[in-house]
Amino acid sequence: MGTPGLWSVAIFLPLFPLSVIFNALFARVGNAPMRAIILLAWPQVGLVLFGILPPGRVAGGVVALAVLGSLLYAFRAIALRDVDRWTGYIATSAWALLWPALAHHAAIDTLRLYALGFSVPLALLVLVADALKRRFGAAYAGLYGGTVRMLPRLAGATALVVLAAVAVPLFPGFFALVAVMVTTIPEQPWLAVCVGLTWLLWTWGGIRLLQGLIVGPGEAVAPVADLSRVEFGFYVLTLALLIAGALRLPGVTA
Amino acid sequence: MKALVVAVAAVPFASALLVQLFGARLRRGAARVSVGAVALTFVLAAATLALALDGHAPAQFALARQWGILLFDPLSTLMAVVISGISLVVHVYSVRYMAEEPGYARFFVLLDLMTGTLLVMVAAGDLITLLAAWHLIGVLLYFLLGHDARSRAAHRYASWTLITYRLGDLPLVLAAGLLYHAYGTWSLPKIFAAIGTDPRAHAVLGVPLPEVVAALVALAAFARSAQFLLHTWLPYTMSGPTPVSALMHAGIVNAGGFLINRFAPVFVHTADVLPGVFIVGLITALIGSSLMLTQNDIKKSLGYSTMGQMGFMIMECGVGAFALAIFHLISHGLFKGTLFLGAGGVIHSAREDDGVPKDDLYTFVVEKRPANQRRPWILMAAITLAVPVVILMAAHFLVSQDYFQEQGAIVLLFFGWITGAQLIFATYRMRAQNFWRLVVLSVFSFAIVIVGYTLISHAFDLFLYPDASFRRGLFAAADIGAVRFDALVGLVTVSIVAGWVFTYYSEQGRGRRREVRAGRWWSTLYALGSREFFLTDLYTRLARALEAAATRLNVWLRWV
Repeated sequence: MGTPGLWSVAIFLPLFPLSVIFNALFARVGNAPMRAIILLAWPQVGLVLFGILPPGRVAGGVVALAVLGSLLYAFRAIALRDVDRWTGYIATSAWALLWPALAHHAAIDTLRLYALGFSVPLALLVLVADALKRRFGAAYAGLYGGTVRMLPRLAGATALVVLAAVAVPLFPGFFALVAVMVTTIPEQPWLAVCVGLTWLLWTWGGIRLLQGLIVGPGEAVAPVADLSRVEFGFYVLTLALLIAGALRLPGVTA
Repeated sequence: MKALVVAVAAVPFASALLVQLFGARLRRGAARVSVGAVALTFVLAAATLALALDGHAPAQFALARQWGILLFDPLSTLMAVVISGISLVVHVYSVRYMAEEPGYARFFVLLDLMTGTLLVMVAAGDLITLLAAWHLIGVLLYFLLGHDARSRAAHRYASWTLITYRLGDLPLVLAAGLLYHAYGTWSLPKIFAAIGTDPRAHAVLGVPLPEVVAALVALAAFARSAQFLLHTWLPYTMSGPTPVSALMHAGIVNAGGFLINRFAPVFVHTADVLPGVFIVGLITALIGSSLMLTQNDIKKSLGYSTMGQMGFMIMECGVGAFALAIFHLISHGLFKGTLFLGAGGVIHSAREDDGVPKDDLYTFVVEKRPANQRRPWILMAAITLAVPVVILMAAHFLVSQDYFQEQGAIVLLFFGWITGAQLIFATYRMRAQNFWRLVVLSVFSFAIVIVGYTLISHAFDLFLYPDASFRRGLFAAADIGAVRFDALVGLVTVSIVAGWVFTYYSEQGRGRRREVRAGRWWSTLYALGSREFFLTDLYTRLARALEAAATRLNVWLRWV
């Protein structure tokens, strides 16, 4: 694969420092559905580009850069309280982990599903963040908290979506990460350890977010409406479909 | 058979779904549904255990093509009975205990999910199912410990637990990846069979694969079972509801011992891992037990007691006594669960009356007053050293004549001897009206415990590992070489005897200067113990430093 081709793919399957392009763009888009679409489409564009470029070997250095970049964004995400920015960082971190699988010649169709498995929970999180913003003016951990008592459906949706985003079993991210680690470990065990640490940092960031949003006395929460049953049902149904899809995800399970 | 095995794991999940869907309508009925489901699970689990005891051959049932395999074998059936039994007690206790708490139905949903996940974990017949269940337990425990959504402290400690558990998940995923890459299957029975055929067929960076995998599995077990340096979460989980503490200390924290037993067919082909496991267990047992003595909060003290017990359990695995570790985790689970569920009542009644009789035992234990008049020390020393050895040897000869050829067995006997000698030594220092009666009772109870323990653990051995050569293989894997072993036993013996002599003489000579010096020593040691060797502070600072570093990095990179 030639250098220009690699550069173009590296924008959409973010390699540091090109990852700043996605994060800068993501921060500028204010509309939640548009953000969700970007999250769903961005890595797919990268995979399409990779597919149409002349075939070639992905260098070991590129894989190492991708994994370390993923670790960097996961590490940076532990300090974040803004849900939107956290979503962007986790997306950057997750998509970069597709590079080890690309280097091991995994089927592009399988990788599209992995990318979708990473993106769908994050797209849902964008919608949850929008719901929080409409009620409190900001989707920011630690600003109000206690939603579990006052807005149980919104808190439940937040918790489930964050769990899916940090690749808890049986969501697709879990299977995708296991597959990436399995492909990496025989030749570059230290990269597999880095992927594992990245996963750990996602959890750390995720629970910090949850603590700031759903935990607390809830006294600061103004009287606002909870999610409707239909909205809550949408989140639960989408996540249930994700789990159903994950159980048939190729790679680990095929 | 398949329906039975699947039902054991499925019933709690079905109950969780029912309670979640109809919890609001059912109100208190949600608890009844949950308790009924877990009672049914217990009955089904007992039926599978009965089949296993009846001699039914191990079997596996695949729910999907490559993973979702559930095992029917002695270990899984035994653990299923223990888990469902403890969970049933916790469920029943929670019906009234949690009645005034918000999120009553949610609590039972989480309890059911946890019970189901634990049951899947012990029955997992493939690496993916095992990994998924292992990981999910940490996540569910986080929500159970943080059930009180108002308490930021409870969530802080729950997140500490989850992070430690996730740290422990990492080596297990790596081990799974290595095994899958080497053998091309996720199925545990297939992997174990392949390793048994040729243990040296694969290597990682020049080290035989079983050694690497066993070391990684041991690391995962250390995190789950609160071994030293990965233990700080355990005593701080008391902010969660008492039933969760009981379930955690009686069931979840024991998972490390289970995991090592599940991978016994890998450990049996190792040479250097089990001695390391023994050392980690030994350090944990010593530090956990010491820290327990320095705590003045009953639940925190119980937490450190669990840490000490987990150290013993891991230590037993480290000497090759795998089945004994399972017996230990069951007995510990039962007594620790009882203690936790009773702790609230004890605290409540102690506020009115401490209930401690001001008798000989009280003055000895609480007021630290040794006896004024003692028996001849040579006679007592002879009894102290000889009686435990006689009892231990007699008990072990009952179950196996050639038991003493295994280093692991000698280590266990050694610990038994020290415990027995310590008991009689303590008796010697007590002031009692009827001294000989006390000695006879101590020796008798010690004999009962040792004979019972030996016979039951031998029965566990025969049930879990019926192949005698496999059992010998486990003990052989724990061997460290005769010279090193003799030197170690000699060193430990000298240390203990020196400790006894020191204790004896420090009470004999009571010079002012010596008392001041000893007092300073004890104060320093006590301060260190009561602050948990500052490890918790260190980890907290490290976590804050990492978060601060991440913030600085974000600022430096302009948040993109």
